[in-house]
Amino acid sequence: MKPAYYKIIILAGIISLACTTRVSEWVLLNSLPNQYTLIYFHNSPLNETFKKQNLTIADRIKTANIQFKTVTRQDIKEPYYGLYYEDRLFSRYNNPDEFRNLTTSPLREKIAAELMAGKLCVMVYLMTDDKEKDEKGLQALKKALGASPFGKIITVFELSRNSKEEALFASLLLNVEDDLKGIQEPMLFGVFGRFKALEPLLGRGISEENINLMIDYLTAECSCLIKDDLPGTDILFTDKWDNPQPALLNKIIDENLSLGN
Amino acid sequence: MQNDTLSYDTLNNRPLPKWLIDQKEGMTTIQTQKIVMREDNSLKISFIVTSIFILLAIAILTVYFLKKHKNQV
Repeated sequence: MKPAYYKIIILAGIISLACTTRVSEWVLLNSLPNQYTLIYFHNSPLNETFKKQNLTIADRIKTANIQFKTVTRQDIKEPYYGLYYEDRLFSRYNNPDEFRNLTTSPLREKIAAELMAGKLCVMVYLMTDDKEKDEKGLQALKKALGASPFGKIITVFELSRNSKEEALFASLLLNVEDDLKGIQEPMLFGVFGRFKALEPLLGRGISEENINLMIDYLTAECSCLIKDDLPGTDILFTDKWDNPQPALLNKIIDENLSLGN
Repeated sequence: MQNDTLSYDTLNNRPLPKWLIDQKEGMTTIQTQKIVMREDNSLKISFIVTSIFILLAIAILTVYFLKKHKNQV
């Protein structure tokens, strides 16, 4: 057989494989996280101390999905750091101490470990610290996951939006949409792929029906429509995404083929 | 920018996330082709084309034979 035929057969195999891969697995294997940009705005030439400081910052964040830039602007009074995602300003910091753990944190590491272990997704429940509101959503979440055949391959982490240790992570989540910071409601973020956070369910929207729709979205066969228009925001994180464990989802679907439709 | 969810009273008008709307409407699954019934004009077109072809052929042949046998007439 001619080598060209082999190539065609292999290509067809890859294409057919891509079409049967589930959304969560396809995104983890193929979708590179979008880049953040950290910009140091200053209005005068940088002295050696600041140059050194910026070099340290650039070195510290170089393994994450972020790039560092310095920009001269004459219309500012004091220098500052701006964190951008695409063209959106996420946060503004006056000094590097405010973003010491910008690219990693204990909870983010745990979430990444779960995703790399083959879990379908991690659901981050961002709490308001208002017990009544938080409890309502949490009950709906527990009920939905308890009844779902995929409940065992979904990890839930609770996080207070007022957490000091995870303040930067909470801030990144609250920037997934531009009005979330002003909404004092519990929020449920589906995190999948290489730390991509879906636009959250919030308040009364955290219902069993919507949680099941989130699960359905992540377990769906990855159509071109999804690949071309992936929702969500990539969270800043420094980690390697090579060689994840096989998706646990496939095992469940193989054991019960009716779940794969 | 993507939009998000419903919530308590003041947030009722807030739209649901696009991924959720798409999922509800089944937009993320592979859509089957919609078959639409249309009027079948193929027979009519076929008659017209054939008629034109025959008329043209007769006209061309008539002119040809007339020219060829002009002298005999």
